[in-house]
Amino acid sequence: MSEPSTPGQYHPASKLSLVRILRRSLVHRRARSISALVALTVSAGVATALLTLYADLDNKLHKEFRSFGANIVVTATANAVLPPDTLSKVQQAAGPAALTAPFAYAVATTDTGTSVVVSGTDFAAVRRLNSWWQVSNWPDPSGQPSPALLGQRAANFIGDEHSVKLTFASKSVTLNGTGRLKTGGDEDSRIYMPLEAFTAWTGVTPSVIEVQISGGTAAIDTALAQLKQALPGVQVQPVRQLVEGESRIVDRTHALMYAALLLIALTVGVSVLATLSASVLERRRDFALMKALGGTQIHLMSIFLFEALILALAGVFVGFVIGSAAAFAISEINFHTATLPRLSVMPLVLLLNLAIALLAAFFPARVLRGLQPAALLKGE
Amino acid sequence: MFLRLLWESFVRQRRRKLLAGIAILFGTTAVTAMLALATTIGDRIHKELAVYGANIVVYPKAEQLAVKVGGVDIKPATGNAYLKESDLSKLKTIFWANNINGISPELPLQLKHVFPDGTTPISAVGLWFHHPLGSGAATITTGASELHPSWKLNGSWPTSKEEAVIGSSLSNRLNLRTGDNLPVIAANTQNLHITGTVSTGDENDEKLLLPLATAQFLNNTPDAVSRVEVSARTKPEDSFARTDPDTLSPKQREIWYCRPYANSISYQIREVIPGAAAEQIRKVEQTEGTVLARISGLMWLISIAALLAASFAVSAAMATAILERRGEIGLMRSLGASKASIALLFYAESGLLALFAGVLGYLFGSGLAAWLGAHIFAGSGVPAIAVSTLPATSIFIPVLLPVVVATALIVAIAGSTPSIRSALKMDPSSVLRANA
Repeated sequence: MSEPSTPGQYHPASKLSLVRILRRSLVHRRARSISALVALTVSAGVATALLTLYADLDNKLHKEFRSFGANIVVTATANAVLPPDTLSKVQQAAGPAALTAPFAYAVATTDTGTSVVVSGTDFAAVRRLNSWWQVSNWPDPSGQPSPALLGQRAANFIGDEHSVKLTFASKSVTLNGTGRLKTGGDEDSRIYMPLEAFTAWTGVTPSVIEVQISGGTAAIDTALAQLKQALPGVQVQPVRQLVEGESRIVDRTHALMYAALLLIALTVGVSVLATLSASVLERRRDFALMKALGGTQIHLMSIFLFEALILALAGVFVGFVIGSAAAFAISEINFHTATLPRLSVMPLVLLLNLAIALLAAFFPARVLRGLQPAALLKGE
Repeated sequence: MFLRLLWESFVRQRRRKLLAGIAILFGTTAVTAMLALATTIGDRIHKELAVYGANIVVYPKAEQLAVKVGGVDIKPATGNAYLKESDLSKLKTIFWANNINGISPELPLQLKHVFPDGTTPISAVGLWFHHPLGSGAATITTGASELHPSWKLNGSWPTSKEEAVIGSSLSNRLNLRTGDNLPVIAANTQNLHITGTVSTGDENDEKLLLPLATAQFLNNTPDAVSRVEVSARTKPEDSFARTDPDTLSPKQREIWYCRPYANSISYQIREVIPGAAAEQIRKVEQTEGTVLARISGLMWLISIAALLAASFAVSAAMATAILERRGEIGLMRSLGASKASIALLFYAESGLLALFAGVLGYLFGSGLAAWLGAHIFAGSGVPAIAVSTLPATSIFIPVLLPVVVATALIVAIAGSTPSIRSALKMDPSSVLRANA
């Protein structure tokens, strides 16, 4: 191991090419090279993992917030109904990715004489929009006619859940309750049925359309403006606490990630600096020898620099693979969706690693500059 | 001799010790800060999520079916059942009382605004504003104002029985402003002074917001509340949380009871308040649970990644620091030192360094985490809450000290081991010759 550093190995007559010195230095000082490579790989890996996660964080978080349901509500102004083509206009203005669900309301009387709010809606849309609805059994679209969902409190006021008889303006209808609905909110006191059947029975058309825009505050603001423009004369309002809370939490998580990124990069950077500079300083004797043999300052510096650069580059390639895998694993464990490797973080990682490596090579090189070769070689 | 060697090594090789020490210091600082943030992130995000309102609702069991569309009571029921306001202090006596951080009782009622020449109907709701609840150190100040940080108030919340705030749409419709007087009549009469306008973004914009006591007086129903919103810090629901406690074995039931699930807190609320039904508000509870779990999960995973990365980097630094000193090892061997005593010396050096830098890193890291937390989460929720629930003890998390220092020790010793072993294996004379 110490053999190549024995001065006798380098025959003065043979040409000392830079490539050869580098190769020998890396191969024969294996333990040290591996230490430095591990450190540089870790720094590149951490940077890759965090940057990849950071770039994907917005999407991931906004997706989680979508389970709060609608973020825009379109309602008719007091004592009016929404024009019949509103739903298609809303869908058109909000874009095809937006989820929309219409709601129409009427107060009917059950067979036990209790007043109950009955709502006509699109079950398929509601199921996607309001994921917090706990429904024992969603109606099967191809199943029995006139299905209904009974709110858990409303169900207490109904005699037979499979044959719910309701009366509205002396017109009666019999619904087949397929399941119970539990939300902990006003929905618990209502009965939900398909919109077509509801309108055919009561003649009431939707008064509320709930819209869910995917994306952050900017996307919601754009959609709001478009909806307001497309639908004059109706109220278009954001669900305020939802929109505000979401952007605050996303911003804060972002800041937190950013702080973590800097903190870890700094930590790893300092360790890499310690590792590399120790391995450079240790070779004061080689340095002195080369200087004594006539190596110029630039020549010697370039040896250190190239060595550091090779290690840094190798670290970036291995680190990128490991870091991408780590980001993928963290994402899969935490968000249950994949985060694919992003080549776009590579330049930044490369830059970071090269900066650390250069710093690590320059720092001891400056210390060495002032040393006298003769004194060093004598062992002082 | 041993101690002297140890001491001299620290005094004479300051540069080497400094580099390795700084590496450990930075590593422990980063790890402490990340872990400290990860342990407190749940509380912090929970506070942010408070804008979504309560996650548990309590109502009288014998209530009639509500006929409400868009928050407007279409057929206000008569002869409603009520909960007792005086029972609410019992909420702070349940097992998970400390997890309850906000309570907002309400009593809706219909009023008539009295003009000199007639009356107009007004919907009103009685609420708590900055209401103290509990006793001693566990007292919290709570109410509608605390539970709805997204409500925007222009003016001030009512402080006495004669004061009220008015919803923004109602204010425009009746042309009533802050400072106006509003004589109202229900079962009793009261002259109200408007102290502010509130924009809530929901049906309360159309209502007059009164102190609960005033609403009870006007409605002639002393001590009555018809609905209570509770904001509680809960554990996200899992399949065990969904089981019915009455079907569980006593031991399992005990475990279920002693976990802060929304379901078990609701169960405990039903136990202490007679005639009450309590339920989680699924929209808030379910989604908050996922968001909370995702963000804190992310922080934990990143902390673990940071721990691993810092460990690798610090071990690499330690390994080089020892490799550098093979000459010393060779010299000691040739002077007759046993392998064990040399190993002991080097381990003692690494250990001492790790201990010192670890403790320092813990202190720096805790400070850093507190600073970062305060900056990133500045102004979250109601400032009064944020300050009172984040005491100085949250800056230093004592549990982290042994964890961080032990990790630093393990990493430093594990990092030094291969280098020490390889140095000891070598023939002292060849090492010395190579370095001579």
